[in-house]
Amino acid sequence: MIKETIAILNENGLHALPASRFVKLAEKFKSKVELVKDGVKVNGKSIMGILTLACEKGAKVILICNGEDEKEAFNALRQILEGQD
Amino acid sequence: MAKEKILHGVPASKGVAIGKAFIYEIKKTEVFQTPILSVYLKDEVIRFEKAIEKTREELKKIKEQINREIGEDFGQFLDAQIMMLDDETIIESVKQRIFTEKKNAEYIYNEVISEYAKKLGESKNAYFKERVVDIYDVGERVLKNLLGVSHTSVLEAPPNSIIVARDIPPSEATLINPKNVVGIAMELGGRTSHTAITARALEIPAILGIGEFLNKVQNGDDIIVDGERGIVIIHPTSGRINFYEEQRKKYQQIAKALLPVSELSPETRDGKRIDISANIEFFAEAEHAVKYGAIGIGLFRTEFLYLARRGSPSEEEQFKVYNALAKKIKPHPVIIRTYDLGGDKIFSDYHEANPFLGWRAIRVCLQETEFFKTQIRAILRASVNKNIKIMFPMISTYEEIKRVKLIFNQVKQELKSKKIEFDDSIQLGIMVETPSAALMSPFLSHEVDFFSIGSNDLTQYTLAVDRGNERISQLFDHFHPAVLHLIKETITAGHNGNIWVGLCGELAGDPLAIPLLVGFGIDELSMSPSSIPKAKLVLRTLTVSQCQEIAQEALNFRTALEVKKFLSRVVRKKFPGIEELIK
Repeated sequence: MIKETIAILNENGLHALPASRFVKLAEKFKSKVELVKDGVKVNGKSIMGILTLACEKGAKVILICNGEDEKEAFNALRQILEGQD
Repeated sequence: MAKEKILHGVPASKGVAIGKAFIYEIKKTEVFQTPILSVYLKDEVIRFEKAIEKTREELKKIKEQINREIGEDFGQFLDAQIMMLDDETIIESVKQRIFTEKKNAEYIYNEVISEYAKKLGESKNAYFKERVVDIYDVGERVLKNLLGVSHTSVLEAPPNSIIVARDIPPSEATLINPKNVVGIAMELGGRTSHTAITARALEIPAILGIGEFLNKVQNGDDIIVDGERGIVIIHPTSGRINFYEEQRKKYQQIAKALLPVSELSPETRDGKRIDISANIEFFAEAEHAVKYGAIGIGLFRTEFLYLARRGSPSEEEQFKVYNALAKKIKPHPVIIRTYDLGGDKIFSDYHEANPFLGWRAIRVCLQETEFFKTQIRAILRASVNKNIKIMFPMISTYEEIKRVKLIFNQVKQELKSKKIEFDDSIQLGIMVETPSAALMSPFLSHEVDFFSIGSNDLTQYTLAVDRGNERISQLFDHFHPAVLHLIKETITAGHNGNIWVGLCGELAGDPLAIPLLVGFGIDELSMSPSSIPKAKLVLRTLTVSQCQEIAQEALNFRTALEVKKFLSRVVRKKFPGIEELIK
């Protein structure tokens, strides 16, 4: 399991379009993907979950990937959170 | 017989329409709770899955339609909606709860969706709060499909309809069929809502933001939408209907007669060419510009890129739009104006006391430099087509243009070092739309390749009249002598500095103003596409020397009314046959 705190650097925060890119990418991996913000944990493959976290630019989230391809998943998903995709 | 009533709103799309009210109501689907027998629980889950599938088909169809008719930039919000629909957490949780609670699918689904909507609604960030609209938009579709209730749709509007609504959700606005829908009147919404953008793309007159009035209208009532005066008339008198019928017939006749004019060259009787180009807001409108005979795009507004995405578009997304537009309009030029956000064009979570005097346009871009640079990079990359010019809005000080150029050159250097191609001789211009810029134009002309006078804002700032404020709207008049003097000075200063000067506000398409502007020496006029044929005809009746005489004398008056009276009298006298065009 990889678990790390990441700051959202995407210009508009994790709004609907980056969030949908995040979900589409997360779905490609077998690993379980979760996001935690302010103690609230959601499924990283659920756009509704992610949106309800209301991650603005600068917000800190914990990205958790757990499974056989966790390393690849973590690295790829981190890029979206950091606005580098 | 109901009494005639005149309502005011935001003129979101021009033109005049007479039709019958088609009331579009978003009725929240009523959901009841029903116990389900254990043996039928599996069937209940299947029914739910089928409804999801049907909804997905619907959304995909709408997305295809938007991409086809309006452009791919607008269909993107549907990707997010489709994903909300397919959200595995929601689907799994609904299925599980059907089994554990033994209740009907619509009840459970509605509960689950509402929980998410509630959480989002509690967000302090306006953007996330507003996404509740998308959740309910999707949710309602699923519920209707579960219940087998047909979705009331704007698609059902019969011929000659004027859609009357409180609000039209985004996925629905894009389904408006211009063959049947002649006008739109809405209680909510503004110039940048999806409905406004769609209406302008389809050339359907629309007045939005009217405030509560639905309770005064019934299906089939006569109704008039006057996008020129910004009013909606419900229960118009027969006299009023006749007046508008006459006017509409005349418009149509003129439009029909004018269409062949589109092909004529825009020049005066004595052979001076004035480039007549189009103001457009998004890619689909380029089609209208070409149809009406524009010599290029004089103003391409880019705000919609921000608004359609509800956030900043990436460099790549912007590049695609600019590049496609440049290719379509080639060999004619396209002037791309950088973001004019702020003021009346929202950042929804930001408010200030005087938005028109506040943090808007170039002022935003000079603070948010990364955001600004991304747009410049995208424009420069598209400039390989060799027909793009770049224009910066709302310059009010000399320092601003210096700073803009510094950033602009930085981006150029970056591209060069990365060996990315662009047009190194791309023309750079500014909008002259503040009195300070007009007065500083002798200095500014040495810094840029062209000026484009924005007559609407120039009028607003010169006369200190908020053009959206109804109580003082009578003070807003672009024929005011103060405005005309500033326009004249700007053109002269531009020519003294050897640069060309255009005008892209409402004044450009006003037939009475054209002789005046030609007399001042204007080089280019940019206007809404449908105004172009008429402007060409007006131009072709004029001679430069006569226009110069008119212009000189027009500057001697003290009031806008005197100027207008003089113009209509003398223009008619000097250019016989122009009457029909000026009306």
